[in-house]
Amino acid sequence: MLMTLIRRELLDNLMTFRFAAAVFITLLLVVANTIVLLKDYEQRLTAYNKAVNESHQELREEKTYSGYAGALIIHRPPNPLSIFNLGLDKQVGNKIEVYHAFIPTMWDAEKHGADNPFLNLFTSIDIVLVFQGVLSLLALIFAYDALAGERERGTLRLVLTHPIQRGYILFAKYISAMLCLLVPLLISLLLSIILLTTSTTMSLRADDFLRIGGIVLTSLLYVSLFYLIGLCISAMTRRTSTALMLCMFVWGVLVLVYPNLILTAVDIVPQPNTQISVYNQIKQMWEEWDRENKRFLRNDAVLGPLSRNGEGWGFRLKGVEYSFAPSEDKPSTLLYFYQTSFYAGKIGAESEPQVPLVQDYYGFYNRETINTVQRTWLVRKPALEAIYIQPANLGRMLLRFSPGGLYDAATEAWAGTDLDGIQDFFSTVQRYRRAVVDYFYDKKIFESRQWFAADKGTADWDALPQFSFHRSDTGINAKRALPDMLLLLTMNVILFTVIMLIFIKSEV
Amino acid sequence: MWHITKREIYDNLNSLRFALTTVLLLALMVTNAVKHLREHPKRVQRYQDAVTESSDRLTAHADGSLYKLAQYGPGNFYKKPSPLHFCANGGESILPDTITVREPPVFATDAENNVILQGVWSLSYPDANLQNKNVGPNVSQVDWAFIIGYILSLIALWFTFDAFSGEREQGTLRLMLANSIPRHTVLIGKFLGALFSISIPFALAVLVNLLLISTANTVHLTAEAWGRLGIIFCLALLYTSLFVALGLLVSARVQQSAVSLMILLLTWVTFVVFMPSTLASIASSFSPATSFDEFWKQRNPVKEDLWDKYDEWLWSSKLDDKTLRGKSEFYTENAERDERWHEERSKYRSSQVYRARAITGISPATLLQHLIEGFAGTGFERHLQFVENTQRYARQLREFVADTDRADPESLHILGVREGTSKKPISPESVPRFEDTLNLSRDFNTAAMELLLLTLFVLVLLSGAYLAFVRVEV
Repeated sequence: MLMTLIRRELLDNLMTFRFAAAVFITLLLVVANTIVLLKDYEQRLTAYNKAVNESHQELREEKTYSGYAGALIIHRPPNPLSIFNLGLDKQVGNKIEVYHAFIPTMWDAEKHGADNPFLNLFTSIDIVLVFQGVLSLLALIFAYDALAGERERGTLRLVLTHPIQRGYILFAKYISAMLCLLVPLLISLLLSIILLTTSTTMSLRADDFLRIGGIVLTSLLYVSLFYLIGLCISAMTRRTSTALMLCMFVWGVLVLVYPNLILTAVDIVPQPNTQISVYNQIKQMWEEWDRENKRFLRNDAVLGPLSRNGEGWGFRLKGVEYSFAPSEDKPSTLLYFYQTSFYAGKIGAESEPQVPLVQDYYGFYNRETINTVQRTWLVRKPALEAIYIQPANLGRMLLRFSPGGLYDAATEAWAGTDLDGIQDFFSTVQRYRRAVVDYFYDKKIFESRQWFAADKGTADWDALPQFSFHRSDTGINAKRALPDMLLLLTMNVILFTVIMLIFIKSEV
Repeated sequence: MWHITKREIYDNLNSLRFALTTVLLLALMVTNAVKHLREHPKRVQRYQDAVTESSDRLTAHADGSLYKLAQYGPGNFYKKPSPLHFCANGGESILPDTITVREPPVFATDAENNVILQGVWSLSYPDANLQNKNVGPNVSQVDWAFIIGYILSLIALWFTFDAFSGEREQGTLRLMLANSIPRHTVLIGKFLGALFSISIPFALAVLVNLLLISTANTVHLTAEAWGRLGIIFCLALLYTSLFVALGLLVSARVQQSAVSLMILLLTWVTFVVFMPSTLASIASSFSPATSFDEFWKQRNPVKEDLWDKYDEWLWSSKLDDKTLRGKSEFYTENAERDERWHEERSKYRSSQVYRARAITGISPATLLQHLIEGFAGTGFERHLQFVENTQRYARQLREFVADTDRADPESLHILGVREGTSKKPISPESVPRFEDTLNLSRDFNTAAMELLLLTLFVLVLLSGAYLAFVRVEV
């Protein structure tokens, strides 16, 4: 019996104009956008490759180890799945410096110079956005007359004269409509995947297809939710025209009005000046470091950092105060540190006896720097989270009250372009910085002659630990997406139950 | 005809959609007003503080000497926030609001860290703000441009999708046409009826919005601002009539109102939501992105040339006319090249944006967005105006410095070099001050084309609706 009902509904739906229009418009939008997005991705990838090469060259031009300040730069590759959900992939900086005097975070990252930031004036689009707008609309259009229409035409009464449970009718309608909606979703996705695989620059791995599967599953839940919303409206109203009007209103409110309205009403802009005391604290720690540094210079036989001295390079005389200026001073990201790089082509013969002492000094200087960084990080990390992560999470939480927000969050998690996915990259960079520091400690590079002078052997950059970043496992993506998907599922179940109750109690 | 219009309005006033529309528009407009009231005073305060600081710097330089003014130039320039910010946000978070004045670069120092070669100030065009600090969700702000562009257009479709198909389904269309009314009268009656029924809740919401904003004593709207608001309101009506005409056209062609709504919505989604961003992406991918380094390489050999060209003067400490003149030329040329290079880069980027804007003009939503931005004094055009204002002022100040120097008989009239410029302090009042301005007539000129295009859209759709309705069989 159920099969008969499903078949009837399916045939009813498949032969309609709306089905054809649904397939056509989804295909058109998805394919057009895939081509554009693919091109955009390729451009970003080219920019990334160019930048990686440039940085590689730049580092090799440095002759002393201390010269790696500002030259050891890690670039964030564009995420191929950003085509499906752009998330934060384009927004967050993609160029980060690795240096022992600060812990790199995503707020210290910058953008490649090749991008034209003015183009951010135009909103960017991704495939999930197309689905979010179009599929929800289609789901409502399939649903609005499912019950109200049959009631109007009187066919509902006819069906109910047969000994069929009302639940079956609802279920049959639901299954057939979902099958119909699945067609445009799958065909368009298939086409876009074919387009992606034909591109030479785009390399999708096996687990990427699993992630895309996750996105499809989430899309299904999302579409089903909107279908059920439409069905609910259809069950509650007597006339199809009223149902149609209400559906459209609900769509406008949920997709268009709510997300923008709520985030305009609630201020979620990061406020860096709320944490200015933390910044001052960090500054104090560094000033203390500076005093320590000067005390060392005063009490030791060492004579201070390099200065030009006749023919070659020598060292400043004892008693001459020498201080560095902080090279980075950014209250908005609570960044404050000293960056120093030294280069001596040739050390004067009269300064040669001082070299071991100076080596000692730099050993001390760098050790203290790293300790200070660790100390400041303890206060900087929570403060950065309070400034940036908390408002961002609040905003996302508020958006979760609309199905679109849930859908966006879940697909972002699948694609790995969400906040967690981006943070994965920056934690890898942080681990890499640790590895570089450990390498410098191991090889005693901080207190080596090559730290500041290039006359007896230059820095060997090829022995440096290599940076590599892999996107997190699919399992982790799934774990991040699961809460939102479960919420979507729960909403689905609740709505279905509500519709059932309404429909069973309603008079035909 | 008025009879039909009246009937339409009465019909709509009692309907559910009218009530929902009113509530929706009111909620949006009130949020908009509250947000503006909360943020605008802060914005103005920030601007005034910055301008005062910049002005103080100029005063300090002028008090020092003419040479100091010539070398250090004015303070930074700030974009004046528009009082009509609530009409269109215009990508405020992306566009920079400052043009900085670069400190004179130090070219060479001696062993004791004394400056021996120091250039003169130049303008530095800032990049767009990289939004890479904010990791929150990206949504559009609820401003008038959003409310009109997205919501009002959707409402227009909502009011018209069943204009003919609904009546045909009910059979009342046949009844109406049985009377001796020409069809175009019916069409225009319907058109006006729908337009008025949408205008009523919109006007109400706008009134509440403006009432909230104008009664608060923190925000002041001048007569000119009210004029601009009037224009924006008319633009909203023009834009709405475009969608009303579209709704009537589709409704006349299609038998069922559900199908008509579906076609309308999909058209709307395509033209209003997707087209602007997709076309912008396509347009911006035409021109290849050039990296900072590539630009740098183009420029660097030129800079080397300068050092060669003035080599014989730069390292001499003689104070004769020729040496000083050589140094002065080196400094000014350096500053000019710096500025020109920056300008070229920013022009290149602007042209990319311009192309994207021109192509997205196919979408009426973008046209409206640009028009509202133009009249509200925000957005990209305004940014370019600000840059232009700054450039004009920079020229003016340089001329002023040259003229004042010429008036001093003790000076050698070699600008940019300490020994060659007047060292007399000048009264700060006599120095021209920068003022960022907006004017309406200029906005009209830039907007004319877009306005024409939008009107054309309306006319084409309206005549399309007429043709469709004339041919329709009842």
